[in-house]
Amino acid sequence: MSGRRREEKESTARPAPAPGEGAVWYSDDPRDIGWVRENIPCQSACPAGTNIPGYIQAIMEEEYGRAYEINREANVLPGILGRVCSRPCEDVCRHAQPGNGETVNICHLKRAASDLKHVGHRITESLYGPSGKRVAIVGAGPAGVAAAHDLSLLGHDVTIFERESDPGGMLRYGIPAFRLPRDILQVELHNALRLGVELRTGVEIGTGEGQVPLARLRKDFDAVLLSTGSMAPVTLPLNAGPGKDDPESIEGVEYGLYWLMGSHRGETKSVGRRVAVVGAGFTALDCARVARRLGAEEVTIHIRTAEEYIPVTKDEIFECKREGIRIKGLRSPSQLSVGDDGRLRGVEFVQNRLGGWRDNGRRQAIPIEGSEFFEPCDTLLIAIGQRTVNDYLDVKLELDRWGSVKAAESGHTSKKGVFAAGDYVTGPTTIIEAVGNGRRIAAGIDTWLMGRQRRRQVVRIEPVAGPPRERSFDFIERQHMPTAALGERSRDLENEVETGYDEALAATESKRCYLCNLKYQIDVDNCIYCRACIEVAPKNCIKLVEGIEIREDGTYGKLVETSEWDEVGAIWIDNNECIRCGACFMVCPTKCISITRNEFVTQDI
Amino acid sequence: MANATHNVIIGNGSAGNGAAITLRERDPDSRITIITMGGLPFYNRYDLPRVFRGCQDWREILVHPLAYYDDNRITLRRNSRVTDVDGRSRSITFAHNEVMQYDQLLVCAGGRGYLPEELSDYKGLMHSFHSFEAAMTTYRALPKDGTAVMLGGDMIGLDLARTLVDVGYRVVLLANEYTFWPHRIDTDERGGFIAALEHMGIEVVDDVRPVAVEEGAAGKPARRIVFEDGGKLDGNVVIPFYGLVPTAEFMLGSGVDIERGLLVDPQLHTTDANIWAAGDVCQIWSAADNAYRFYYGWSNVRQMGEVAARNVTGATEAFEGVGDERLHIGKDGRIESPFWEY
Repeated sequence: MSGRRREEKESTARPAPAPGEGAVWYSDDPRDIGWVRENIPCQSACPAGTNIPGYIQAIMEEEYGRAYEINREANVLPGILGRVCSRPCEDVCRHAQPGNGETVNICHLKRAASDLKHVGHRITESLYGPSGKRVAIVGAGPAGVAAAHDLSLLGHDVTIFERESDPGGMLRYGIPAFRLPRDILQVELHNALRLGVELRTGVEIGTGEGQVPLARLRKDFDAVLLSTGSMAPVTLPLNAGPGKDDPESIEGVEYGLYWLMGSHRGETKSVGRRVAVVGAGFTALDCARVARRLGAEEVTIHIRTAEEYIPVTKDEIFECKREGIRIKGLRSPSQLSVGDDGRLRGVEFVQNRLGGWRDNGRRQAIPIEGSEFFEPCDTLLIAIGQRTVNDYLDVKLELDRWGSVKAAESGHTSKKGVFAAGDYVTGPTTIIEAVGNGRRIAAGIDTWLMGRQRRRQVVRIEPVAGPPRERSFDFIERQHMPTAALGERSRDLENEVETGYDEALAATESKRCYLCNLKYQIDVDNCIYCRACIEVAPKNCIKLVEGIEIREDGTYGKLVETSEWDEVGAIWIDNNECIRCGACFMVCPTKCISITRNEFVTQDI
Repeated sequence: MANATHNVIIGNGSAGNGAAITLRERDPDSRITIITMGGLPFYNRYDLPRVFRGCQDWREILVHPLAYYDDNRITLRRNSRVTDVDGRSRSITFAHNEVMQYDQLLVCAGGRGYLPEELSDYKGLMHSFHSFEAAMTTYRALPKDGTAVMLGGDMIGLDLARTLVDVGYRVVLLANEYTFWPHRIDTDERGGFIAALEHMGIEVVDDVRPVAVEEGAAGKPARRIVFEDGGKLDGNVVIPFYGLVPTAEFMLGSGVDIERGLLVDPQLHTTDANIWAAGDVCQIWSAADNAYRFYYGWSNVRQMGEVAARNVTGATEAFEGVGDERLHIGKDGRIESPFWEY
């Protein structure tokens, strides 16, 4: 255990008061900060760091407006993300660990907070005084909007330049309205930008006629943030014979991203009777569902690996299939077949087998030589990924080997005063990642502009009088999202498919959350080692330990367990195993178990 | 036998039981545990239509007498649902939170009837035929001389349909692309096979698309099917037969490769050194097809269980599959399928 020391008594910045004492305190102790990071898996997995147990408990208490505000502290677009988030939080939910059942519907509850809050709900935000600094943001997608919100809240004058006629980026031009209604989008974008952000739409950055050069922005503003996303499709090197190397030149073949963007700009789109979609992300699924609504009789999504390994939610896959869309795996397109009339006849695929894991966590697909087969179709939509575009830059910025702008952790590029955020830097990710990244870079810009860090994260620790959960809550089944009947969906691009939880469903689902922000602790000075808590615990969560390791960074490390009584230094609640059922608290004869609620909050420095 | 190898088999069907007895023969000292979600010892799913021929006592459909498990020192864990398998720690977690260790695992969990997602809202109004209990529920819901409406009509369903017709029920089959599954029927042959079904007494309605199932009106049969074109059809029970999908969800966190089923090599070995799979749950690499494929039917499934068990105990035998997979029409004008042979 070199470099580490043992600690026999759990401690925070100050000892926990007796239950019900009611005092709240704030801690920057690395043990407390580390505890919150490691014991609340959903919050740690959320790229925006949303206080998920906090808002779910507010829903449990029917405080929907408060739940919405807790969400909004980390993510300014809760009603939007409550509909279209990729849900990395649900993948790590403690309720889904072996033996614990199914994940909590965290995302549906986020939407419930938005849907069920009072119609007259007022947003409350603490504003900083004017800084006198001006920031230009290029691109009004999720990263740009999130950054604009935070920078305006911090007192800076923010102007967004957006080339499209309306803000939202991929939210508006990539995602169909049946997944993200435009009135919800409009309201939340408005609320994010309401603190004096100037929005200039229809303005392109570049050196062409009528365009605004980046160099000019840099001159007119104290800082510039580039957040133009990944708004171009990755091309697929398919050909249909000699001289037909560009798939888009073939009638019936389109890139899915441009096809969706065109549709959302109001262009009329049509498809053939049989539609093939190549790709495995949300854009591919959206293309398929739009094609079905435009009247395609057979829609098939062709994927390189298998359903299990594609980066979309299970709910989206299910709804696709419900709408009659097929998903066929282990195949890659190899060639197009075009008829004498120049129209697409179909696609030749090659059979794949699964390979190893790629660096990005996705599976490899390995084509099998000689396994080509043909699938007829009238329309092919290609949606195999997106990429960033830098052709508007008139200022030389250092790029990485993928052609994305190189940026430091603070978002600063190689050009002083020019920052970059979101998919424009990271390559295509998810909306919640873009929002989280946009906010982090906004903090970096603020520090650079003001010459010092003005805010920091600490842990707010609040005593809790008793367990807010009952053991019976652990056996509640996952509550499914109600959806529109199939008959109401066909040929309608506006009608929202998921109709949202009502209060009863939200209340039931919220009870399923373990509330992992609750920390159960045993006061070893008052413990009589009767083992009653160990006997009653439904999990292997209460342990006899010699001590606990403290890592180099000051956070808690591994428990040093023992079964020998003469080596026991403490009886310890392992909060990684604990499902916060409260059984130990209820059975303790000496009342030596305390509960605290531990949450990150931001403080001024 | 404290250190005996613990071979665990998930699934109590033909593959699982074929594997279990093969394991016992080849490794007399091993511990063998079969885990099943069902409440009954091994019975043959292919035997379930006998329920309509008067065989309604569960003891009559058992393949082995109850003493069989004791005699062969096979532990049968009934009513036990596996929720997770962890290949690294070689552990199985049950829905009731028990954790079981294994040395070698054979997944023979089979498949369950596929219900197209667009009909999932109506699941509660349909009957199924995937287990003895479900078969008895269907039997009780279908009055004498009543009408059974079959959706799709895979070979499991058609086996039931021919029995129902033989014993005096009316069967209306709403045929579609799943009819005759898992056989692949050429378009020019399909008409002949449909005619054979009609010759067998099954009423076939071809190329209609059911969009809803409703409760029947007062005084009418218990169910009503609504078609896409607005047409309606009454029946006492509605049973979907759209083929099988592998029961593989509990393996998603195990670390083995999955496409629709567990992906295995011809030796039925998954990508985990200690896990094999057999039966309807696995997709087997076929060098001839240059693809992973399923093999259905009792003969295939049984053989897979035995091959997997031999390989678990040291052999390196490849599964080859039964030869003839074709659907054909017999001299009496009735359909015959190797899928029905057991």
